[in-house]
Amino acid sequence: MKRIEALEVLNELTAELPVVVTCAATSRELASVENRDNHFYVLDSMGLVGSITTGLALAAKDSDLPKVIGLEGDGSLLMNPNVLPTGGFLGAEKLFLILLDNQVYGSTAGLPTYSSHVDFGALAEAAGWTVGRAADDARLRSEFDRLIATSGPTLLHLSIEAGNASDIPKLLVDPVVLSHRFQTWLTTRLARGSGTR
Amino acid sequence: MTTKSYTQAVADGIWGAGADLIGYVPSVTIAPVIGHLVTADGGTAGISERVKPLSREEEAIGVLGALPLAGKFGAVVMQDNGFGNSLTALTTFSMSYHLPLLIFANTRGGPGEYNSMIHSISQPMPTILRTVGLQVLELDRRSSSEDWEQTVAEAGVHARMTYRPVVVLGSFWNTDGKVA
Repeated sequence: MKRIEALEVLNELTAELPVVVTCAATSRELASVENRDNHFYVLDSMGLVGSITTGLALAAKDSDLPKVIGLEGDGSLLMNPNVLPTGGFLGAEKLFLILLDNQVYGSTAGLPTYSSHVDFGALAEAAGWTVGRAADDARLRSEFDRLIATSGPTLLHLSIEAGNASDIPKLLVDPVVLSHRFQTWLTTRLARGSGTR
Repeated sequence: MTTKSYTQAVADGIWGAGADLIGYVPSVTIAPVIGHLVTADGGTAGISERVKPLSREEEAIGVLGALPLAGKFGAVVMQDNGFGNSLTALTTFSMSYHLPLLIFANTRGGPGEYNSMIHSISQPMPTILRTVGLQVLELDRRSSSEDWEQTVAEAGVHARMTYRPVVVLGSFWNTDGKVA
């Protein structure tokens, strides 16, 4: 499964969920699939998506949102693997990371990560996360459905092919525009949920 | 009249700043601050509903710095040598995305220091933080604990007003607190 094929499926599955997206090719490709208000593109800060998602999951603790989604890469997770023990220790109920693992730094000349030797899913399980694994469309959908209904930190370890989609434009937008757009969507969504509970 | 301790003043200032969630990376100097925060929130053993231990300062910027995206406000309690591993997150996330955040950090490497190398990172830190454009307020023995509390609380107001992180650096030397 190519990254952009995975993102097409995930875009369909997360239409009503906050989605924090890791930098470079992943953000660009998701934005090319659909650039939606519920997407928060982290244009730099490699490694921070898991922490940002943890913070938002804690902030949404009392809401009716089932999960806050973080789309992370294997190279990026290696920049801040603390996400796994911290998420497990805090037991953030609404934390859901989806790890797009292509075993390379996709935006950095395809240099290899540790992923061919290190099982990120096993690391997450050791830290107390509920983990699912997928490598194709059907399994991605079924594991997503299972994990979104699972309380506590969840990680979907998705194996994808190396390589980036061609002719995808860069995201050359002022980050504050992304903040305002996502904050408006999320605070409205949280207020709507609290009003119906 | 009983004078409030400096560590209690910092804790009260953070709550007074309107923090919805607080994350900390431990240091012996701020351990009493963390204790006060946790106690006030009904917790024990370093954790409560709104006070959470974190493993690294960079992570703390991500976790607490994200709260404004959900309409909430976060605070970080840490030691100043931890800014070295969090500058990328502070600049490319909090500052670039215009996200307010209150950071209280105790200082090391100055008067009262015993460690022979920590000054290498801590002494230049106010200059480093200002060079990247962060608002920095500095507190030390020359002002009262009441002033510390008010300054920390106002730093939170200032962060929200400017849509940026604000750093309060506190030197506990010659206060009733502990340097290291």
